[in-house]
Amino acid sequence: MIDYNVFREFGAAIAHLGETAQKTEIPDEQRVRQAKQVMLSKIDRSMAVDLESCVKCGYCSEACHFFVQTNEPKYVPTRKLDLLRRVYGREVSPLRFVRRLFEAEITADELRQWQELVYDSCTECGRCSMACPMGINIARGVNVMREALAAAGLAPDELAAVAQEQEQRGTVFGVGPKELQAAIAKLRESGLDVPLDKPKADVLVLTTVIDILLFQDALLATVKIMNHLGLNWTFRTGGFEAANFGLLSGMEDLQRQASRKIIDEAITIGAKTVIVPECGHAYPALRWEGAAMAGKPLPFEVLAISEFLGREIKAGRLKVKSAGARKLTYHDACKLGRHGGVLDEPREALRALGVDFRETEPTAEMNWCCGGGAGVFLINRAAGLRQKAFELKQQQIDATGAESVVMSCGSCRLNFMNGQANSRWPVKIESLVELVSDHLSD
Amino acid sequence: MDWLALARGPLFFLSLAIFVAGIAWRLVGIIRLGAKPSLAAPRSTATASAAARTVFARMLPRPGFHPSATLATINPYVYHLGLAIVAFGYLPHIDFVKRLTGAWWPALPDWLVFLAAGATIVSLAIALLFRLTDPVLKLISRGDDYFTWIVTLLPLITGMVVILEPSGAVHAREAVVYPGPLAIHLLSVELLLVWFPFGKLMHAILFIPGRAQLGMFNERRGVRS
Repeated sequence: MIDYNVFREFGAAIAHLGETAQKTEIPDEQRVRQAKQVMLSKIDRSMAVDLESCVKCGYCSEACHFFVQTNEPKYVPTRKLDLLRRVYGREVSPLRFVRRLFEAEITADELRQWQELVYDSCTECGRCSMACPMGINIARGVNVMREALAAAGLAPDELAAVAQEQEQRGTVFGVGPKELQAAIAKLRESGLDVPLDKPKADVLVLTTVIDILLFQDALLATVKIMNHLGLNWTFRTGGFEAANFGLLSGMEDLQRQASRKIIDEAITIGAKTVIVPECGHAYPALRWEGAAMAGKPLPFEVLAISEFLGREIKAGRLKVKSAGARKLTYHDACKLGRHGGVLDEPREALRALGVDFRETEPTAEMNWCCGGGAGVFLINRAAGLRQKAFELKQQQIDATGAESVVMSCGSCRLNFMNGQANSRWPVKIESLVELVSDHLSD
Repeated sequence: MDWLALARGPLFFLSLAIFVAGIAWRLVGIIRLGAKPSLAAPRSTATASAAARTVFARMLPRPGFHPSATLATINPYVYHLGLAIVAFGYLPHIDFVKRLTGAWWPALPDWLVFLAAGATIVSLAIALLFRLTDPVLKLISRGDDYFTWIVTLLPLITGMVVILEPSGAVHAREAVVYPGPLAIHLLSVELLLVWFPFGKLMHAILFIPGRAQLGMFNERRGVRS
């Protein structure tokens, strides 16, 4: 049961989040220099192909929820890479000697202008890449732009504040090992066995600040399922936080630090599997970028909880009973689906529950983003834009006739709840892990 | 040396050399940058087939996108196909290639080539109209987009000027009846060849690695692209 007082408190905390960011005054020349340094360090062959290829067809605009909902040309995805293109054109491109004559240096004012484009109006959902006839990975370029802006001291205050907290204190929204221990103690009061800091375990289960503070039922559900399967698993106070604000804000050092914390813990306990909770970006952060952060392949598999559930159900190891003929649809979090490849497994789980499952149109890797991903949910000035993007998602869900929308991402869930509060939307918002846990066979 | 001889001879070979060397320069400049291999365990290793599939699949519009009145999907097909038909299907063009290399292939009927040329010109005009009026396209367009448009259109226009008889008649005789207009036509083609490696026309080559690498990236992650 969600405590809506905590949800409101969470909203109030976000409203003041930016005020806690430590600001450093950086001269404009230095901002440009630092931003360029990051851009140049990220341009490789693959990105060069992307930056050379755009034919300016504008098709990507049709794929972007922020453009579709506002009709604002400035939000066209390919344009978000223009500064990166210029730096590439002048400094790296094979035609740089000529392009320098026609293309101006980027400026600090342009970097400031790009804040809105790469943070507020882009969830790095990657849908634009699905539309691009040239196959340009625009989301990857936007992520480089975020890193460049962060290096220039131009990350939005809200993201900077959380990133600074994670970097300096090792906590996220004040949640650290003590808060995890308190949450676990609460679960144990209900008679549950909750392993914490076992020296050796096959499975390391991660959690996240949102589950500890707000979606405690998701945490409870995860524990129930792991115990039900009889696995040798544990939480670890030294590496439990799956959320990676280094990735979201564009601070690669912090991203590396946050990933390594988990990787080191998993290696210490000899884990064969690490399970990422219902936290969208946390999955690609560890599953697809973790090895790069560690500088070597990971000696364990990384599974999103939804992927794990589908896999266990399909293998017959996890048995569930019918959830009744309820009309349900599934929202693919972009970071899990389009970025992560976790598409079939959550559907396996839903079908096993015997519900009246309805796909959205479009669905899976073509699904619309909810508008709150990649940290956009935390950016206060983006609230209006985010709500507009969410309305598209609402329409998509409504068209299925489903009475409930299931998801496996806490950020999406928060954004859905926020959107629901704004529009009094009657559709029920549910977590996949909670739904499965509620229907475990005896 | 008259203009036609110049356009058919030294200038043509010079433009061809710039075309080849320019493309090579641009491709080598990209390839030399290198790439870090992904260290993450892939969900699928069928990356070669995914690359090939994506190269072909992206030739078709992706279902599931909102229809747009301005970003019409049919128009680009018209001028891409039209240009291919005119450039490679017209008998005098094939004769030109045969004289240079000895290679030849069957020509398409004149009516089809003329129809394609007409449709291509109209289609390019529509493309320009979109670029000038659509707010998104206006915002993202650069000088390259407009110059490339001109350079692409010129050979079509100058080519239409020299078509005054069936291609079979041109093919049957050695002598050139309209040396001036033909020289202009050849010069416009040479301009296109020279511009090709430096502007957006390079997409005719870059679409292959661009689509292929996205297909491989997505396949590794288990995402259909």
